Amino acid sequence: MKLIYSELKKFLPDLKVEPQQLRDDLTMIGHFTNFFEEIDGEIVFDLDIKVNRGDCLGYYGLAKDLSVFYNLPLQNLSQPVNNQSKNQLPIKITTENVKRVMAVKISNLKNNSSPQWLQTFLKCHGVHSINTLVDLTNYVMFLYGIPNHAFDTAKSGENLIWEMNSKFKEFISLDGSKLILNNKILMINNPNKTLSLSFWGGESCAIDLETTETIIELAIYDRTTVRQNSRQLKSVTEASIRLEKDLDPELIPTAFKHLANLILENCDGQINSQIFDHYPKKADLPQIEFDPKKPSLISGIKIPADFSLDCLKRLGCQINNLIITPPSFRKDVTIEADLIEEVIRFWGYQKIPTNQPLVFKEVIDITPKEVYLIENLKDQLVQLGYDEVLTWPLVTTPIDKKTVITTQNSINSEAIYLRQSLIPSLFQQLDQYNRFKLPEPQFFEIGKIFSKEGDSFVEKNALGIYNHNQSQLLIDLEKLNLKTQITDNNFAEIIIDNLSKPEKYIPNQHQNNAIELTSQIITLDANIILDTKEDPIKLIEKYSQIIDSKNLWKLIVTDIYQDSKTNKYRYTFQASYFNLDDKTAKLIHLKTFDLI
Amino acid sequence: MNQNLEKIRDQYQEKVINLKTDQELESLRIELFGRNGLFNDLFTKLKEISVDERRIYGQELNVTKNELERLIAIQSQKVVKTTIIKKGLEYSVKSKIISLPKIGHLHPITQTERQLNEVFRKLGFSVYNSPEIVTDEFNFERLNVPQNHPARDMQDSIYIKEPEYLLRTQTSTIESYLLKAKSQDLPIRAAFPGSVFRNEKVNRSNHFVFHQYQAVVVDKNITMKDLIGTMDLMFKTLYGPDVVVRYRCKYYPEVEPGVGPDMQCFNCHGKGCPLCKYAGWIEMGGSGMIHPKVLEAAGIDPKVWSGFAFGMGLDRWTMAQKNIKDIRTLMGGNLAYKPNEL
Repeated sequence: MKLIYSELKKFLPDLKVEPQQLRDDLTMIGHFTNFFEEIDGEIVFDLDIKVNRGDCLGYYGLAKDLSVFYNLPLQNLSQPVNNQSKNQLPIKITTENVKRVMAVKISNLKNNSSPQWLQTFLKCHGVHSINTLVDLTNYVMFLYGIPNHAFDTAKSGENLIWEMNSKFKEFISLDGSKLILNNKILMINNPNKTLSLSFWGGESCAIDLETTETIIELAIYDRTTVRQNSRQLKSVTEASIRLEKDLDPELIPTAFKHLANLILENCDGQINSQIFDHYPKKADLPQIEFDPKKPSLISGIKIPADFSLDCLKRLGCQINNLIITPPSFRKDVTIEADLIEEVIRFWGYQKIPTNQPLVFKEVIDITPKEVYLIENLKDQLVQLGYDEVLTWPLVTTPIDKKTVITTQNSINSEAIYLRQSLIPSLFQQLDQYNRFKLPEPQFFEIGKIFSKEGDSFVEKNALGIYNHNQSQLLIDLEKLNLKTQITDNNFAEIIIDNLSKPEKYIPNQHQNNAIELTSQIITLDANIILDTKEDPIKLIEKYSQIIDSKNLWKLIVTDIYQDSKTNKYRYTFQASYFNLDDKTAKLIHLKTFDLI
Repeated sequence: MNQNLEKIRDQYQEKVINLKTDQELESLRIELFGRNGLFNDLFTKLKEISVDERRIYGQELNVTKNELERLIAIQSQKVVKTTIIKKGLEYSVKSKIISLPKIGHLHPITQTERQLNEVFRKLGFSVYNSPEIVTDEFNFERLNVPQNHPARDMQDSIYIKEPEYLLRTQTSTIESYLLKAKSQDLPIRAAFPGSVFRNEKVNRSNHFVFHQYQAVVVDKNITMKDLIGTMDLMFKTLYGPDVVVRYRCKYYPEVEPGVGPDMQCFNCHGKGCPLCKYAGWIEMGGSGMIHPKVLEAAGIDPKVWSGFAFGMGLDRWTMAQKNIKDIRTLMGGNLAYKPNEL
């Protein structure tokens, strides 16, 4: 959500903090603010609003939080709507999914392109300006977090019906999208045609510059219905994002009056009906027992009881003998723990010390023995020179179609089956290594394999292992006391759940480098002639120090030959280079072995 | 026929053990497994017996063949070793390849997990785990996320059987299993690394499987000070003593109050840069005091017991530490390790 500093100050005229400080304070009290920037002379903040704070999807809610934090008065920008006429709007509400609707008709409008301030406001929010009337509805949605809509009555008529769709097959939205309807969609229709979804206006009654009369409405619906509709129709709008949160119907009159007056100020016009207000059931507010000592007990630091109560009062809570009634707009506050969080966040998380961790305490070891077994096997395999890899648990091809577990909605259509064996995944890993010309790979994975047994889903821990040298693989399996078959291509797999498990095992700590290969490993030979016999290991160490370790993968001696005529020794080296192009690798090679 | 196979196995076992050179072993290998070798002959003769016998005898033949192959391979290694030791540094004739010893490696994710396990083991934590295919109840309901709760949008799930079975989307799911299993064995101190799954397209920055680490404590009089102090200890272990971490109010349905740790961006030191999306801080995970409803769901009385939980992703940290640019590298990708210390 975007927040323009100057607009925020309309609600908090006494706010004086620097933008940087405001950004940090908003973040610390729970409204993570990524950054602020200047757009057309306005300072604009970029915030992530928590999913349980629907009230903060508007300036008003954020201003309320900040008024508590900075202890500043909150300005009411909404004025009464005067000069209502006696005409009653013929609106019908036929569904319980409407929590509250307010509406009024405004006639004799002069709609125009929007004034500059409004265009700038919308631009800062990433919304295109349409015309004054439409832009004002968006403006009020951003101010109060409550979506609203304006119908051109020349197109819609006055007989608006809020209903669950029963007869219409399709709906054309304001941007011209055609949506296929079913009977679970909450709609605003007239007797003959669709007008609007709960969260998206329709093309059939769109406001344009010719509009002279409108019915404006602000509404809050059953949020689950809106959420389901939005998903069914695969359409997310600024309105749906807000309406699927728990919004406060009590805020509708404030936002409604503000919108009506803004329209009258900016588009002329007169109110031409009574205000329609459908509000069948006020929600009960929770009554929460609160112990003012609890914020201290939970935070671990001293928070005065006076502060706790004063803070809750400033938040708008009713306090009666330590029974707290939160304000209606704070739908997220329902139990004592919520009140405690409110107190602690306004006291300041930063006041909690960071240097007092838990100290050791003897509690029952509940580590499953299989964890010890897995750690132990990993250490043994590493000691034998194997590298650990991790592969995809979802694979493209089942081994046994009868027992394979299939994912229902994986968007990676190439990998929809849970693996039944580690070997195909390890085979792919080998394929990848071969593509990079990795010399002599030997690696393993310990991971889950999955299968269906009747109606049950079964998970087993398996070890998969590969060695380019089959003989060595056999020896290593024997050393590990693992009895299993080896495939023709040097892989082996064993279910480890049934192996005997250590009572306890403390694994070794390793910190070694892993490298992201970006190109093929390049292997080059070099011969050097020496007058005397040298230890080949020392020669390997000597030359490996000459080559930058960022490029040298491996250095080996493949041959030593003594010429019987000259008595000189020829050492043949094989050097492998990584993440280098051919030309650079060759240049380094020639320089290192003095071959230029 | 079975007796015949046993005889063959015994006879050649003895023979293999007594062979001393590569050449002798190679001759025997050809004698047994070559194109005109003994086993090819035996496999050919399978056609002559009934289908039922063929199935049983065929299996036994394979077992014997594998066993003798294994013996020859083992003997071959012994012979090579003896040859090298005998030769010492007398490399006047063509010899075997000489290199530094091959070193094995743990995956960087495992390395990080072990580093963290060590921190928590010293504080008395166990290392726990639980299934990866889970029910909606353990993945959401017990964590205070009922059906149609907007928090479900934070996690796109991969379903096995919608709506009941899915792949776990977070390590908090392990917490659900843990609290249920150990609700009568309080206090609890447990940490758990684990793979988690989200329905994401795989590309350079996103994957459908990634790794999280979580720690949970349930005891009497546990406070946010314990939580924040312990998290800070963990971050200092991972990132060094000079790391700057702030702890702010953050929402997760399974905790209340919720705490979000942010690390000051190591790239710009808080000034703002593309890496931290100009925030100056990098979100490091989520944490908080275990929500009373989560404890109640496990049958733990929140008036007596309290606790904290925190979780963090391991992939991004591991990528930054190992200079890995593409998340796909970590899983079945082009992650490799130098074979020896050069």
